[in-house]
Amino acid sequence: MNQSQELVGALQTIPWFQELAPALFEKIAAISTLAAYEAGQELFREGDRESNLYIVLEGRVAIEMYIPGQGRVRIYTAEMLDVVGWSSVTPIVRQRTASARAVLPSLLVKIDTIKLNQLCQEDHDLGYVVMKRMANVIASRLLTTRLQMLDMFAHPGDKEAKNV
Amino acid sequence: MSEIPLTIGTTVALPKSEFDGLLNGLRQLGYETIGPQIKDEAVIYDSITSLADLPRGYTSEQDAGKYRLVYAGHNNYFDVTPGAQSWKKYFFPPRSEMAAFRRDPENPRRWLVEEPKAKYPLYALIGVRPCELAALQIQDRVFLREDLKDPIYRARRQGAFIVAVNCLHPGGTCFCASMETGPDAKTGYDLCMTELDDDFLVQIGSEAGRMALATQEWHPAAAFLLNQAKSGLEKARQNMGRSIANFRELPEALLRDMENPRYDQIAKRCMSCANCTLVCPTCFCWDTREVNELNGQRASRERVWDSCFNLEYSYVFGGNSRPLVRSRYRQWITHKLGSWWKQFDTAGCVGCGRCISWCPAAIDFTVEAAELRKEVKP
Amino acid sequence: MTTRTMELSAAIIPNKPMQPFWAVIDEIQSEAPSVSTFWLRFLDPGLQAGFRFQPGQFNMLLVPGVGESAISISSSAEDNKRVGHTIRFVGNVTTAISRLKVGDVLGVRGPFGTSWPIEKHVGQDIMIAAGGIGLPPLRTVIYHIINHRSDYGRVVVLYGARTPQDLQFTREYKEWEKAGIEVVVTVDRADDKWEGPVGVVPLLFYRLRMDPRKTVIFSCGPEIMLRFVVFEALARRISSDRIYISMERNMKCGQGFCGHCQMGPYFVCKDGPVFTYAQLEPYFNVEDI
Repeated sequence: MNQSQELVGALQTIPWFQELAPALFEKIAAISTLAAYEAGQELFREGDRESNLYIVLEGRVAIEMYIPGQGRVRIYTAEMLDVVGWSSVTPIVRQRTASARAVLPSLLVKIDTIKLNQLCQEDHDLGYVVMKRMANVIASRLLTTRLQMLDMFAHPGDKEAKNV
Repeated sequence: MSEIPLTIGTTVALPKSEFDGLLNGLRQLGYETIGPQIKDEAVIYDSITSLADLPRGYTSEQDAGKYRLVYAGHNNYFDVTPGAQSWKKYFFPPRSEMAAFRRDPENPRRWLVEEPKAKYPLYALIGVRPCELAALQIQDRVFLREDLKDPIYRARRQGAFIVAVNCLHPGGTCFCASMETGPDAKTGYDLCMTELDDDFLVQIGSEAGRMALATQEWHPAAAFLLNQAKSGLEKARQNMGRSIANFRELPEALLRDMENPRYDQIAKRCMSCANCTLVCPTCFCWDTREVNELNGQRASRERVWDSCFNLEYSYVFGGNSRPLVRSRYRQWITHKLGSWWKQFDTAGCVGCGRCISWCPAAIDFTVEAAELRKEVKP
Repeated sequence: MTTRTMELSAAIIPNKPMQPFWAVIDEIQSEAPSVSTFWLRFLDPGLQAGFRFQPGQFNMLLVPGVGESAISISSSAEDNKRVGHTIRFVGNVTTAISRLKVGDVLGVRGPFGTSWPIEKHVGQDIMIAAGGIGLPPLRTVIYHIINHRSDYGRVVVLYGARTPQDLQFTREYKEWEKAGIEVVVTVDRADDKWEGPVGVVPLLFYRLRMDPRKTVIFSCGPEIMLRFVVFEALARRISSDRIYISMERNMKCGQGFCGHCQMGPYFVCKDGPVFTYAQLEPYFNVEDI
């Protein structure tokens, strides 16, 4: 199987690709590639202007942020069918706000977002589908982030001691 | 006394002048006779030895946030509607020891359970109003369950002798008729009295009641007296100070709207002082207190009255499950008029009106119940 | 509401409900910062041999002079040599317990409460979703499943904690996996030594495929986590009477006498702590109930 057949096959395992009309599917397939990463290999770093959208097919990719004095803090891991690097699709964000690194050997679909954004501009139907999808991804991340922020497993610590 | 044998259910007349004989008889049997008396300008419950100890001639003016004892000069001993105290303090004392432990003299890392030494007195409660009797029976469901019986409650309750008194002159905050607990007592008494001009009509409710009365100077009750009692009770039923409509519909009505804005309105007035729960004859919540001897040789566990209005009552890991007054008042009223049914198959309120009289913010339970059941239009 | 029958081998005297039975601390296992498992053995060997509890039930542990604390039993219901209690040290009583040593004695009353109805769901797929200190009461179910593995279909344990250091029972995960249980562990945040997922338990849930007709959820953890687990489960069309959650409230008597643990009409100590979502539904989303 050549690379493009392999790619098409991989894309067809992704639910939201399955929902695309064939013409739209082909447009995206044309700007996508398959990328394999070894454990520990970086996809991109905080501050990069790298512009790709990744979808995890196998493995695990960690999203990390660097805190001076604490090192890299892992704040999220993308598993199979998760999206990484959605910020390059959104209009405002100019550079990566976090780093991405493969934790396990991983296989990802990599979509060139400069070309994707152009396609969306030219074809608003495609644009609508892509943006709808990205909105879902961001919503889900926001909820997860909020739950993490609530720190629900924290000890109340030095609060007034009670009979518990 | 007469040669006519008494049976349970019979009503006879006992002249007021002979009542002390009944009290003496009970005391000779070992009962501590308790009845209403005046102290600090209110009616309280304490030991009595004679009818003369009772607040004859008094009545009370009660309204939301108001209680005044007034000398009206009438002939009656039992005509004052209850004050802040209820009979529950005799069976569910405000403070009692539940368990005690001593250090094992042979191994200081170990403790031994101390056997309880408390001997419980025999109480004869004189002048229990129908609402209070209903409250006692509700507390029986709480403390004497099929699977578990509270030993302190049971020891005091099982020997108690109850002389109920029907209400001919309900008070300004009374609503027992709405709650179907009065103005006459239904069951659960040893003797039930209705006070008329010179006599008490006494109905016998149990063997113990029959035996206590049998040796007293009673005479058969004439139709005239029975009719007087009957019409007096009917008049009392019509003259309640307050009312709650259709109390059986309340559980669903209250649950339907737990975010009713009325709760915010109440919260502006309620000080969460817990008075209502202290005076309520059915409230049963309690807390534990650890008591230690200074030398570390004895530790005991006390049970003390608690209230859902206390902030610490709803402490949970990391915070408090009812931090606002609004939610604590809601807990109280939805429990009393709603959840109680699911828990104990009865309403929790008996219509005694104490919570209305003794609320320093003059919050009227019956008014709030009526407001909260109204459907709020968006 | 389920009724419990009191067995004579329990550490409860029906007409002296507040009297404890003494148990000696046999072993203390540190599980995570501020969390340890205390293994207790009743001083009365007859009581110890006969003591029976159901997975999900709890005991009231007493430190004389300090007070009592409601602690879930975390050991196997089939172990009759000793009873394990995994305790997080947060208040007066648990801090006092944390200072005790092997050989010291605690008062025990129990077991109390409703249990995870594992035997009712033989043949089904079991999803266990636990967060933080919610794992210990579910560990009793995991042990039951391991001892009766062929009685159940797919079994998944989803567990979340704050950081990798806060994960409990880590040395046991391999054994659970060997018994055919999928174990997926996530943390809120980690450093780069952690190779596992980083996220929240409801998210792990979201990623799983499950057949709603065959699946039953058992969940225990902070109430906010339960809220979202329930949300995800309902979104997967799992019916509310197949979603079981364990609630927590202030407990003093453990038997429905003192009123503290009420949540709506329920006494969490007696009608719970394990409830179906169907039971809790009218009350669960009322704030400050």
